[in-house]
Amino acid sequence: MFEEASEVFENMLKSSFPLTFIVFLPAVLILVSPLPAEAAHEFTVYRMQQYDLQGQPYGTRNAILNTEARSVDAEVLSRRCVIMRLLDFSYEKYQKALRQSAGAVVIILPQNMSTMPQDIVQQFMEMEPELLATETIVPVYFALEDEELLSIYKQTHTTSSSQGSASAAEVLLHTATANGFQMVTSGAQSKAVSDWAITSLEGRLAGEGGEDLPTIVLVAHYDSFGVAPWLSYGADSNGSGVSLLLELARLFSRLYNYKRTRAGYNLLFFVSGGGKFNYQGTKRWLEDNLDHTDSSLLQDNVAFVLCLDTLGSGGSLHLHVSKPPKEGSPQHTLLKELETVVSEQYSDVRFSMVHKKINLADDTLAWEHERFGIRRLPAFTLSHLDSHRSALRSTIMDVRSVSALEGEGEVRDGPHVELRTLSRNTKIIAEALARVIYNLTEKGAPADLQIFTEQMQVQEEQLSSMVDWLTAQPRAAQLVDKDSSVVSTLEYHLGRYLKDVKKHYVKADKRDPEFVFYDQLKQTMNAYRVKPAIFDLLLAVCIAAYLGVMYLAVQHFGLLYSVVRRVTQPRTKQH
Amino acid sequence: MTLFHFGNCFALAYFPYFITYKCSGLSEYNAFWRCVQAGATYLFVQLCKMLFLATFFPTWEGGAGVYDFVGEFMKATVDLADLLGLHLVMSRNAGKGEYKIMVAAMGWATAELVMSRCIPLWVGARGIEFDWKYIQMSFDSNISLVHYIAMAAVVWMFTRYDLPKSFRLPVTVLLGLCVYKAFLMELFVHVFVLGSWTSLLVKAVLTGAISLCSLFLFITLVHSN
Repeated sequence: MFEEASEVFENMLKSSFPLTFIVFLPAVLILVSPLPAEAAHEFTVYRMQQYDLQGQPYGTRNAILNTEARSVDAEVLSRRCVIMRLLDFSYEKYQKALRQSAGAVVIILPQNMSTMPQDIVQQFMEMEPELLATETIVPVYFALEDEELLSIYKQTHTTSSSQGSASAAEVLLHTATANGFQMVTSGAQSKAVSDWAITSLEGRLAGEGGEDLPTIVLVAHYDSFGVAPWLSYGADSNGSGVSLLLELARLFSRLYNYKRTRAGYNLLFFVSGGGKFNYQGTKRWLEDNLDHTDSSLLQDNVAFVLCLDTLGSGGSLHLHVSKPPKEGSPQHTLLKELETVVSEQYSDVRFSMVHKKINLADDTLAWEHERFGIRRLPAFTLSHLDSHRSALRSTIMDVRSVSALEGEGEVRDGPHVELRTLSRNTKIIAEALARVIYNLTEKGAPADLQIFTEQMQVQEEQLSSMVDWLTAQPRAAQLVDKDSSVVSTLEYHLGRYLKDVKKHYVKADKRDPEFVFYDQLKQTMNAYRVKPAIFDLLLAVCIAAYLGVMYLAVQHFGLLYSVVRRVTQPRTKQH
Repeated sequence: MTLFHFGNCFALAYFPYFITYKCSGLSEYNAFWRCVQAGATYLFVQLCKMLFLATFFPTWEGGAGVYDFVGEFMKATVDLADLLGLHLVMSRNAGKGEYKIMVAAMGWATAELVMSRCIPLWVGARGIEFDWKYIQMSFDSNISLVHYIAMAAVVWMFTRYDLPKSFRLPVTVLLGLCVYKAFLMELFVHVFVLGSWTSLLVKAVLTGAISLCSLFLFITLVHSN
């Protein structure tokens, strides 16, 4: 039976096996061949900013990367992917890489920024605007450090630094043992995002007593900015401002709940988007309110506009104005009240007014109040920063770090949010505002009167949870679309305290866009282990030698055979 | 890594087979089709083995890192079918012992090479990523050629009617070693936590020892009468 079966089998194969072999195998091979190989390491990379503002391109213009990795010490960098760690990153090295026409730059950042030495953080923060200031042709990526990535970096570093110094034999040995890495991104080329809508939110508290009440506008922009959108969490700038604004909304909504405590001022709260892109949200909001509608709170009697920007740390408060307020104006009153509150209740806080004229020749406006100033609305910005050029306002280092959470009173130079400072600032602003809207000084109230105490006090937990939530995800303007959770949660919180909460969208003009964003900001990068071409040749020589030895061994198998025979023969004779 | 690397691996894997075929004089016997038939039998036997394994051996669902000793042993026992298959091939061919052994082993090993290493090499060694495992795989194929020649020889000796009584035991032991070699290797690697290069070396040494033993027995048997 077995015989029969195998005969049938044999006949079948005899006729058809070569055919199937010839047809089937190549087909399988072709089908299977484009499968991607498993990567040695796969990690997420965050691309540097890419945007156009008023027709001016900024950031990197490229997203595709497929080159071999080198560290910056290597002699030849052209068309190589230069990888650097934050620890040994410097602007000169970055420039050197770009000058040598490197194919790409990957900067490895530590998982926890707060572990970095402060001078390096400071240095990097100051470099960020410079990296973005000019357009870069090659892709620039940021990656968060992990063990694998660190080992890749180290291997690349040893490979790169040993070049050119060793002898030929050493180099040969090195090619066999060392690994090169081919860095490949999976995404497509970056392209402009069309019809991107920046969302801003407004809400109001209506005052009591008469038709034409003056309005106080409180403004904070919610978006964050840094060298890489996906890494910009913007804790201090401007998570602190937004959480402060929401806390003010909560406090004043309690006062405005009762007719008796309602003041003779309307309060208009505005959370603006696109604040880091020349205050696009504010600009459109003003246009909508002033040019297109007939009746709006902004059109009639605006007492002043107070912008909140970066208020989460530091021992000082600065009121930035474009022109010094005139005596007797509501603006001047607020300034005086702020001074009173600070001097009477918080004497350790340094308060000052900073005067800077609007420079229309600049590419970007310095502070948000200048948007209002251009439209002839009395406005100022309150911030703990003394200059709009501070690197703090546009850095990826501005994260809510663990040490700030503990609030142990340690002194940190880097950007962070101190809850105590934030709630103190909230208290100062709230008290001063209350003194303005209830006209307390004129009514003869004592200077150290505290309104927001006990039931009405500033809730630190509330502020803390707001800051935590705001810094839980990157809020770069390119990432917050109109359906994102940031917008909907902000809307929910405003809706809890305020009336008439509305969303405003800004879309760039199709013909002559004021701002253009680009996609592919977050990608997966693969590092493939590769060997240089010389290694292949070396391997080929070795294999050829091995095969030669094999050939000789098989050819002279008879020798072994006869040796074994000679060994075994005498024993068999003894049988 | 590149097509060149694939070429390297391919040469390393295939040339020893070619050399063996040419130098063992099989080409002079026009044994090509006989080898192909042996390969076809290999395919048939593997299919049967797979069906059997799939039917009777449920997938091991133990925790990761736990070595299922009994299960693996039972699976290795199924490799006894290889012996039957080799015997089947050799019984179909008439001729001298060496010729039968070589045809069966060559066909068998080549079929295994084509079926189980060709595609991984094509897919893997051509990719961007460099890994030593393709070179190791090619070396491994050289080892398995030696292994199958030894195994075929042992099977041939075992099935001879004129096998002296004193030979019965060593031949049976060798047969068992041949069948359970893969299992033993796995056990070795598991127990001593060997690296890939060391385990390859151990495999080479083990295979060398088995084949040397079977060469001894073979020569003694052939030249004793």
